[in-house]
Amino acid sequence: MDNHNLKTIVKLEDIHKAYGDVEVLKGITMEVTEGEVVVLVGPSGTGKSTLLRCINQLTIPDRGRVWLEEIELTDHKTDIDAARRHIGMVFQDFNLFNHLTALGNVTLGLTRVLGMHKEEAHQKAMQELERVGLEDKWMNYPGQLSGGQKQRVAIARSLAMDPVVMLFDEPTSALDPELIGEVLLVMKDLALGGMTMVCVTHEIGFAREVASRIVFMEHGVIAESGTPEKMLKNPDLPRTKQFLGKISDLH
Amino acid sequence: MTFLAYLQIAIPKLAEGLLITFRVSLICLGIGVLIGFPAALARVYGPKWLRIIVTGYIEILRGTPVLVQLFLVYYGLPQFGLTLTAFSSAYIALGFNSSAYQAEYFRGAIQAISGGQMMAARSIGMSRIQAIRYVIIPQAFRFAIPAWSNEVVAMIKITSIVYLIAVPEMLYVAKELMAKYFNPFQTYITVGVIYLLVIAIMSIILNRLEKRLTIPGLDLAKRSSA
Repeated sequence: MDNHNLKTIVKLEDIHKAYGDVEVLKGITMEVTEGEVVVLVGPSGTGKSTLLRCINQLTIPDRGRVWLEEIELTDHKTDIDAARRHIGMVFQDFNLFNHLTALGNVTLGLTRVLGMHKEEAHQKAMQELERVGLEDKWMNYPGQLSGGQKQRVAIARSLAMDPVVMLFDEPTSALDPELIGEVLLVMKDLALGGMTMVCVTHEIGFAREVASRIVFMEHGVIAESGTPEKMLKNPDLPRTKQFLGKISDLH
Repeated sequence: MTFLAYLQIAIPKLAEGLLITFRVSLICLGIGVLIGFPAALARVYGPKWLRIIVTGYIEILRGTPVLVQLFLVYYGLPQFGLTLTAFSSAYIALGFNSSAYQAEYFRGAIQAISGGQMMAARSIGMSRIQAIRYVIIPQAFRFAIPAWSNEVVAMIKITSIVYLIAVPEMLYVAKELMAKYFNPFQTYITVGVIYLLVIAIMSIILNRLEKRLTIPGLDLAKRSSA
């Protein structure tokens, strides 16, 4: 694929993060260009989620720099709240606002962050709910939705902000097996629609179908990365082959 | 005098006292919310130095008898030239005391909300303040209602101690009646029954409020996705 004309959306430079004595990230450098779908895989505890949260600065790295397009997010002068609205994030546990309906969850950012009028926000929110196939569930509270529906509302909530990149932190790990498909379907649609995405997931089928790149992380560093083709069939490291082989068997 | 005849005299007087009981309770609960809720927010979200101050405030007020606090305000402050009326002393002592308990109830409610919701709010570009305002507070108030109901009941009963500084609430009226008619048993039984009725009614109202404000499906969600 020819990426020369595409602009860089996210750039990470030498990211370090430690929790106490445990160094979770030991110098991660990577770039995500427009329209790319990057799938991060690796054993648990290797810092994949931490890395994702370093991108939108929900976790502040100890060292290293992060850019969103031309804005340096790690610069203290950057208005991080303003920058964050351009970075969508989907969590393992959905983290919907429990006191608001599906519609309320999607509109809250539109009205309170973007200052949209209520009517306009409703219209926009309904469009996003339609996009994830939940327009008829708009009046339901999170407690009245299935896990898969909750996650789709969470995706709609992020999409409503018109992000330039979407981060997915194990979006299907908390779901019953029969509900995973509906969430992956929405994610595939997004990927095919050209959304720039960084996904921590072990859904190898998803990676094989839509990933531009699979990044294998272990012990806080990027061990190897490449196209799904290469990574799944013919990786450089035996360890990559072993790990991806194992999770492919599972799915 | 028969008990019935006595009640005809006593009830209107006790009712006047009860109004004062209500007034003191309401104002003290109000002061309690106004200080207690921000104190709870400060204790959860504040910087370390503020958390220490607030925790100290809460522990001191909860760790000493409210009667001592009341006397300190009413009898102690005049020594420093600050003389307050009995009413003001009651409002301040009981209100501040209540704020300490309410702060703890609200803190429990705030901490019952998953940290993930705060993260999600931040991820769509909300500031910390906005996330607290639009995501945490609306849920915290709902979660706090059951514990807060206890505080309402406790407050109505606790106001009875202000008769010791001659605030003419119900118990003070009772003491006057008793001195006149020499019938402590009838008087205190009557007072006790009135407290019981008032508290039963308050409990029903607060229970209804709690049910009305329940977030649809939330209990269900808690059980199924633990």
